[in-house]
Amino acid sequence: MTRLHLSSLGLSCKALSLAMLLALGSVAQAADEPQGFLPTIKKHTVLTSTVPDNGDQNPYAIVVAPVSAGKIQKDDVLITNFNNAANLQGVGTTIVNYNPTTKKLSLFAQLPHELATCPGGVGFGTAMTMLKSGWVIVGSTPSNDGTTDTKGAGCLIVLDSQGKVADVWSGPNINDPWGNMAVIDNGSTATLFVSNAGFGVGSAKGAPPVVNQSTVLRLELTIADGKPPVIANQTVVAGGFGEQADKGVFLIGPTGLALGKEDKLYVSDALGNRISEIWDATTRTSSAGVGRTLTHDGMLLRPLAMTMTPAGHLLVTNGQNGKVVEIDPATGKQLFARWIDANRAQTPPGNGDLFGIAMNSAGDGFYYVEDDVNMLVLAK
Amino acid sequence: MEIILILKNVVLQFGRTTNGQIGEVCTPCAAWQTGREKVARFSKTAGGVGIGPAQGCICGEGGSLPPLRALKLALAMAFASTWMWANPAVAAEAATSAAPEVKQLADSDVNPADLPEADQSIKAKPLDQWTGLWNRQTMLGDIGGLRSWLWRSGVTVGLTETSEVFGNLSGGMERSHAYNGLTTVTVGLDTQRAFGWQGGNFNASVLHIHGQNLSSSSLGTIQTASGIEADPGARLWELWYQQKFLDDKLDVKIGQQSIDQEFMVSQYAGTFINTMFGWPAVPSFDMPSGGPAYPLSGIGVRVRARPTDSLTVLGGIFDGNPAGDSTNADPQLANAHGTTFSTHKGKLFIGELQYAVNQPAAGEIETGGKRGLPGNYKLGFWYNNLRFADQRYDDGGLSLADPASSGNAAQHHGNYSVYAVADQMIWRPSEDSSRTLNVFTRIMGAPGDRNVISFSANAGVTLTAPFEGRDSDTAGLGMGYARVGSHAREFDADQGLPMRSGETYLEATYQYQVAPWWQLQADVQYTLNPGAGILNPKDTTQKINNIWLVGLRTNITF
Repeated sequence: MTRLHLSSLGLSCKALSLAMLLALGSVAQAADEPQGFLPTIKKHTVLTSTVPDNGDQNPYAIVVAPVSAGKIQKDDVLITNFNNAANLQGVGTTIVNYNPTTKKLSLFAQLPHELATCPGGVGFGTAMTMLKSGWVIVGSTPSNDGTTDTKGAGCLIVLDSQGKVADVWSGPNINDPWGNMAVIDNGSTATLFVSNAGFGVGSAKGAPPVVNQSTVLRLELTIADGKPPVIANQTVVAGGFGEQADKGVFLIGPTGLALGKEDKLYVSDALGNRISEIWDATTRTSSAGVGRTLTHDGMLLRPLAMTMTPAGHLLVTNGQNGKVVEIDPATGKQLFARWIDANRAQTPPGNGDLFGIAMNSAGDGFYYVEDDVNMLVLAK
Repeated sequence: MEIILILKNVVLQFGRTTNGQIGEVCTPCAAWQTGREKVARFSKTAGGVGIGPAQGCICGEGGSLPPLRALKLALAMAFASTWMWANPAVAAEAATSAAPEVKQLADSDVNPADLPEADQSIKAKPLDQWTGLWNRQTMLGDIGGLRSWLWRSGVTVGLTETSEVFGNLSGGMERSHAYNGLTTVTVGLDTQRAFGWQGGNFNASVLHIHGQNLSSSSLGTIQTASGIEADPGARLWELWYQQKFLDDKLDVKIGQQSIDQEFMVSQYAGTFINTMFGWPAVPSFDMPSGGPAYPLSGIGVRVRARPTDSLTVLGGIFDGNPAGDSTNADPQLANAHGTTFSTHKGKLFIGELQYAVNQPAAGEIETGGKRGLPGNYKLGFWYNNLRFADQRYDDGGLSLADPASSGNAAQHHGNYSVYAVADQMIWRPSEDSSRTLNVFTRIMGAPGDRNVISFSANAGVTLTAPFEGRDSDTAGLGMGYARVGSHAREFDADQGLPMRSGETYLEATYQYQVAPWWQLQADVQYTLNPGAGILNPKDTTQKINNIWLVGLRTNITF
């Protein structure tokens, strides 16, 4: 009886071990499953219209304020407008400020379109950042008639925390700073990456050609106490991405930038329908060209602005449908796509609606704009 | 002008080539000439390391041209010189354009690719009311700030004009042509922006119809040529309030509505001009006064629910006769200004089930794979509880054409119809392409005893972005058919008239987007057996001949 009991105990131990092994196996298997950020999103909440009193439209850049300074409270959401009240592209001159606590929208900055020191004037695109020192740097991709026929080379404009112009940067390295900025902000110094999508771009009439002349420019800034940032050094770290004038969306070019591990800069190549990675982004002294393709096609459809989740995954908005795509940069695998704009009025749904994207300060959601209805939305 | 440009290019290219800029050169040199690399070299001065042309590349000064290219160039120059000799004005223009660059190149050894891009010197110009006229969504833009001022109060104002000229080249009751137009003013109020009430919208619209109704005066067709044809005059069209509930899964609309805006709608049929592609023949002829549809409308309530992402249920109850109490035979005169607001002439019940295929829902997650092409399918019915006269028999069972007839038509309790609508994209070269090929069809039937039209159908195909660079244009080919009801046909026979059957039309159209706010649309229609075979009222010895109709429409959004 005892032997039997021991024997059965032995069997039970084996069975238990087997069960544990199986359980461990399933845990390991679960760990192998792609773990993503997008499936954790529960709801899309429309927060506010982004139209200020002057009627500017077409929200593009989104920046979450890292600090409180002047008119801005920490975690406020700054949004640029690319169009004016007549819905002409490249002439929007306002940056609005949404306060998530008060849920109020206010005007942060309104510049004259005819800002003389900026070639072509002011038309705010997707390039914008706010530094810890309180300075806001925003890109202008201007036009005089809403098309690239009259586009200027634009500039980068430094605004103080009251929304006033402190400095304007232009020059041969800057031509239509277009995409969202990637930034390393150390307080007294900062490194900015910005894409330029205007070199060689002409009229949108007829069938405009694709020009492979866009660049990604690295700006190394020094920021003295109480003084506007100064460019200490500038280097083109990538280039040759396609860019094209477009009747509908003004121009198409590399738009999303995000910094990842191992000093890699990720670039969304809208026309190439791919995400490229540029190695040694902060240290390289020459252009890496278009870099190495991390991923292409799949669920991407004209990738635009890009941001990074706390886990280091890329989120990129699609220009030609209403999806945001999550990519694991370690593997290049496109994990998920989520329809954040399924407006069937466009074909494909949401076509042309998405642009800017930015993680919220808690890191559990992201802001995006629906530029067809001029709305700021929180996905969380 | 094109020749002038070619000559300019020849001169410019020659100028550049002498400097080694344009030529069949080695790859590193070609790369060196791009603006991208130009910027890379600029970065050298700013602290980076640039890229220079490879040694041995012929693009630098002193490089020689390959013999074949030199020969081509010489021929081009010879041709250009000859042409300019024969055309001094052309030569002057080309020289004027080319001279600065050639001079610049001659004066210095600067590589033009190193010169600042032209847009570095573009100055911003002040914006005014007419800036970007050809590029904006509305012709009048912000109207000096009026639109944005109204928008801040939650008010939107829309003004559109549709004008067209149609003429029948052959056939019809008589050859003629006519101008026809429609002005629509729409005012909307967003209650959220106006006073903080979420999910509410007021809408009011007014029509001004002008010109002549060619179909009734000269064509004699059942399926009238243009959807805007109506009695001239100004009238209130819609006046309603809509409230959204349950995170937009439910909305209710109350007030005076034109139900052709939401029921029986085919997405792709909207490109066409013939009336039947809008409000089809069955409801047009079988609902009292043509139903609450353009240019009329009716008081009622409409509820829309979206129980699932792909399913929409639409239902409404409206007054049964938008013409109200008037005995005027023309309902548009009976309700001449759209202000009858009738609520007691029976009831119209209408319901529609809409099913969307291959269309995503907000929040839907994908992990890859391709989605099929989108489509929409609708199934609907309507029922009117008024009494409807039989098309053949009187109340004693005799034909109304019988001399012994009482002359009082037999009455049927109620009238009804069922319908189906299908819209399906069937081809696009790629997911990011504007070019799509789409098909649609609508079919519907109603009892033949009490209705003039017992069956109608239309179908067609549309192609968006038919040509390179014409992304907003649409070409379409469509057809429609309407069949006269059985009792109406038998009544024809009872009177000794040719028995009507059905009428068919074909339509070919091209919608050309001149500017975002302006469309031009060329249109050709051919109608077989006009009026379903009735005798020509202007020549009762024969039926109406088949009609060739051509027209041009313009749509302007102010």
